[in-house]
Amino acid sequence: MNQSIYLLEFKLFFRNKAAWSGILILLISGFASLYLGDKFIRQQDLVIEKAARLQEENTRTNIKHFGKDPGLLLYHNKFSMVNIPDRWAAFANGQRDINPYLISVSMLAVEGQIYDTDLSNPSTLLLGNMDLAFVFIFLFPLVIIAFTYNLLSAEQESGVWAIVKSQSGALIRLIRLKFSVRMISIFSVAFFLMGSAVFYLKLPVDFRLLLVSVLLSLYLIFWFSLTFWVISRTKSSSYNAVILISFWVVLNIISPAILNVWLSQKYPVPEALETLVKQREGYHEKWDTDKSKTMDKFYAHYPQFKQYPFPAELTFSWYWYYSMQQMGDDEALAGANAMSEKLSKRHEFSNLTALFLPGIQTQLRLNEIAGSDLENHLNFQQAVKRHHEKIRLYFYPLIFKNETIEKVQWDQFKTATYKEHSTGYIWQNLLSVLIFSLLFTALALSNFRKRIHLF
Amino acid sequence: MKRILIIARRTWKTAFSSKATLILTLILGLALCLATFIGWQNFKTQNSQRLKYKELVREKWLAKPDKHPHRMAHYGYLAFRDKHELSFFDFGIESFAGVSIFLEAHKQNTVNFSEAGFSNGMLRFGEMSVAMVLQLLVPLLIFFLGYSSISAERETGTLKILLCQGLSWRQLLTGKTLGIIAVSFSLFIPVILLTILLWAVLSNWQISIDASLRLSLLILSYAVYFIICAGIAVLVSAFHQSSKSALTTLVVCWVFFAIVMPRMTQALGVILYPSPSKIEFNAAIAADLRKQGDSHDPDDPHYAQLKATLLKKYKVDDVKKLPFNYGGYVMAEGEKISAGIYNRHQRELNKTFEQQNRFTVAASYLNPFLAIKNLSMALTAADFKTYVDFQDQAEAYRYGLAQRMNKLQIEKISNNAPGEKEAPRSISRRNWEEQPDFQYTFRPVSNVISNHTGSIFSLFCWFSGVLILLNFSSGRIKTL
Repeated sequence: MNQSIYLLEFKLFFRNKAAWSGILILLISGFASLYLGDKFIRQQDLVIEKAARLQEENTRTNIKHFGKDPGLLLYHNKFSMVNIPDRWAAFANGQRDINPYLISVSMLAVEGQIYDTDLSNPSTLLLGNMDLAFVFIFLFPLVIIAFTYNLLSAEQESGVWAIVKSQSGALIRLIRLKFSVRMISIFSVAFFLMGSAVFYLKLPVDFRLLLVSVLLSLYLIFWFSLTFWVISRTKSSSYNAVILISFWVVLNIISPAILNVWLSQKYPVPEALETLVKQREGYHEKWDTDKSKTMDKFYAHYPQFKQYPFPAELTFSWYWYYSMQQMGDDEALAGANAMSEKLSKRHEFSNLTALFLPGIQTQLRLNEIAGSDLENHLNFQQAVKRHHEKIRLYFYPLIFKNETIEKVQWDQFKTATYKEHSTGYIWQNLLSVLIFSLLFTALALSNFRKRIHLF
Repeated sequence: MKRILIIARRTWKTAFSSKATLILTLILGLALCLATFIGWQNFKTQNSQRLKYKELVREKWLAKPDKHPHRMAHYGYLAFRDKHELSFFDFGIESFAGVSIFLEAHKQNTVNFSEAGFSNGMLRFGEMSVAMVLQLLVPLLIFFLGYSSISAERETGTLKILLCQGLSWRQLLTGKTLGIIAVSFSLFIPVILLTILLWAVLSNWQISIDASLRLSLLILSYAVYFIICAGIAVLVSAFHQSSKSALTTLVVCWVFFAIVMPRMTQALGVILYPSPSKIEFNAAIAADLRKQGDSHDPDDPHYAQLKATLLKKYKVDDVKKLPFNYGGYVMAEGEKISAGIYNRHQRELNKTFEQQNRFTVAASYLNPFLAIKNLSMALTAADFKTYVDFQDQAEAYRYGLAQRMNKLQIEKISNNAPGEKEAPRSISRRNWEEQPDFQYTFRPVSNVISNHTGSIFSLFCWFSGVLILLNFSSGRIKTL
């Protein structure tokens, strides 16, 4: 008996044109975003492939031109490091369009090089890319709203409710039935899209997939509980629609927009420009200061290089030149550290405030899991610095001893790779969305219990 | 006419008698005030920050001691992108475009340090600015105000009474639209007044004609945009049987036009007109450079020929005997060639970006939101074109600086290279003053208009389309 009621309810729901169009919108935009998100990442893969080849070619040309002078060769030669996109990055593109995923550095001061951006069209960055995360976070809630806002009010407005009420005692059960039909439909679409994503984006079936599925399910449940609460207040259809849309606009558009400007106002990053100026001065003013001062500082940093004789009598030597470059980095270090401290403060602040905004925190967690967030980029920059340090330590003795490059094993310096992702705040996120969902469901249930006899 | 006004007045009154409208309007009004304040604060901090470092850069430049001009060319200059005084109104691409660029000899750098690079992804949800409220939220309010304007009359049965009393469809539609426009303007006008006041204070009451023209055009375009939105709301309401379905249609339109479509069109533009990554871009430049003459290559034919010509002209057998600094001469030639090649590639790249963006501009014939978005960004000088213009001016400055230093080297540095252990050659620090400070100048408003005829015309098309529909669609609307 129960089964047949379910079937009837399903039939009733799908007779509605809005139901089909809602599902169709989700499917079409879902597939479009799968295509666009994947295309975006595949473009990066292609560039990364090309980068490896180009670096080898450039090194060859440089050796041909400057091979006799190792100092000059290393002045020109660039070493690249790439931030390999995770498969999940096609699901949530995150900041991968804004932050460079390929950083090429020469042996000069690293602070002057790692902040270089890729060539990008700022209009594209402004409008943002389409990925499946966008569909889940922005469009699913809207379809949930469209499916449920008049679940009760439509029956009341058409007068059917009065008949149902007079004939059946189990009104809450009926509402639950109608609600679950909509939930099943939405979740089927969601899981179908997830399945397609796993297949199309070749996502590994592992714990992360489970985590993302739970994360997104909980987000959808949050919206169901919110609409459940709104319809439990038994207002008119139009009123419900306006309220729910306002909720969506406030949660997904206005609050983050306000938080953003607040954030950039509260934590401005003048350290960025400070670092830039410091690095430039730190290096350039050494041309006009006593060489021994620079060298003393350099030896303080790297005592192991004291053993190589410094040609003090020469007007110019690469030994001195690279020491000057090193001073640019050393003197910008405080600024660079202050900047990363400021950025982690921003990170904490937005994570904290996002606890109250399910949409944003779900997006942030998806980016984190996909390795396309700011933290990933900052870690990537650190990795580039380490790579740069490795190159320096390898070539410094060679230059200081004025050796030839014959013995250099260039294979060691092919394009370096970086790949990482984290799941830092996911449990807080799951907990906060769960609490919100439970809260609204509890409020809705108490509303129904109180008022069920009144309407 | 009188009847239209009666209808309009009644619409206005009923709108404000509803508590929900009042609350929504109040919230939006507050949001606008907040956005104005925030925009102003943001402008102030960002601008003072950039100004502080700009002055520091100048100071340090002038303070450099006597040295070789080529050292100065490598010391280079830091340029900071100026914010237009009107940018507090619309942030546009401000947060997504870099702020500072390092200008040095032989090397064209990227504009770095955008606000977006410091954001962990929340920025993608949007930024609170006056323009964002006006473009995105006010239309939503207008839709909420207008979705039931005709359909509710139909549902309650008053529609047929109104029409029986001799009111024409045209009068009814125009009156309703006017009423809704009046409501949205009662929100819009105070904000505009506040904006003008703020802006005047910002610029210390020294308002340029160009900026006031920009602002007037901005106000005009937003007014037209609201009229379009109000017209759409009333028309949709008239064509729907129930208010509920009218509301659904309007909300779906809003989401599609304002949230989904902009991303879609831009993503499509990027796919259709792919732009090279930086390494490909640099590789292409390097290839061209090798073809035309690479000053780093000791066997390069171009420079070999240059050398031969010079030797012949001055009738000497060694470049060391030339009456000017040969190294400087070669560098000036190298800078000329590399800058020419770089500029050609940069122009091509900008053209590709332009084509990507043109997709969105073309889409504004289908979507008034895109039209106003593009126009508003352009008028507040926070658009792509202004950004490119900054890049161009910075590059011109870079080239000028490098060549000035090369010229100083050619003329003032002895052609005899110092010995390995001698002090390096240098010139007086007084030469540094001759290099003026970098100063970005904004293009005049006429330039904006000629660059954005597409957006302007599409807005105009929407405006006339809505007017035509309001006046001539009565035949297709069902009364019952």
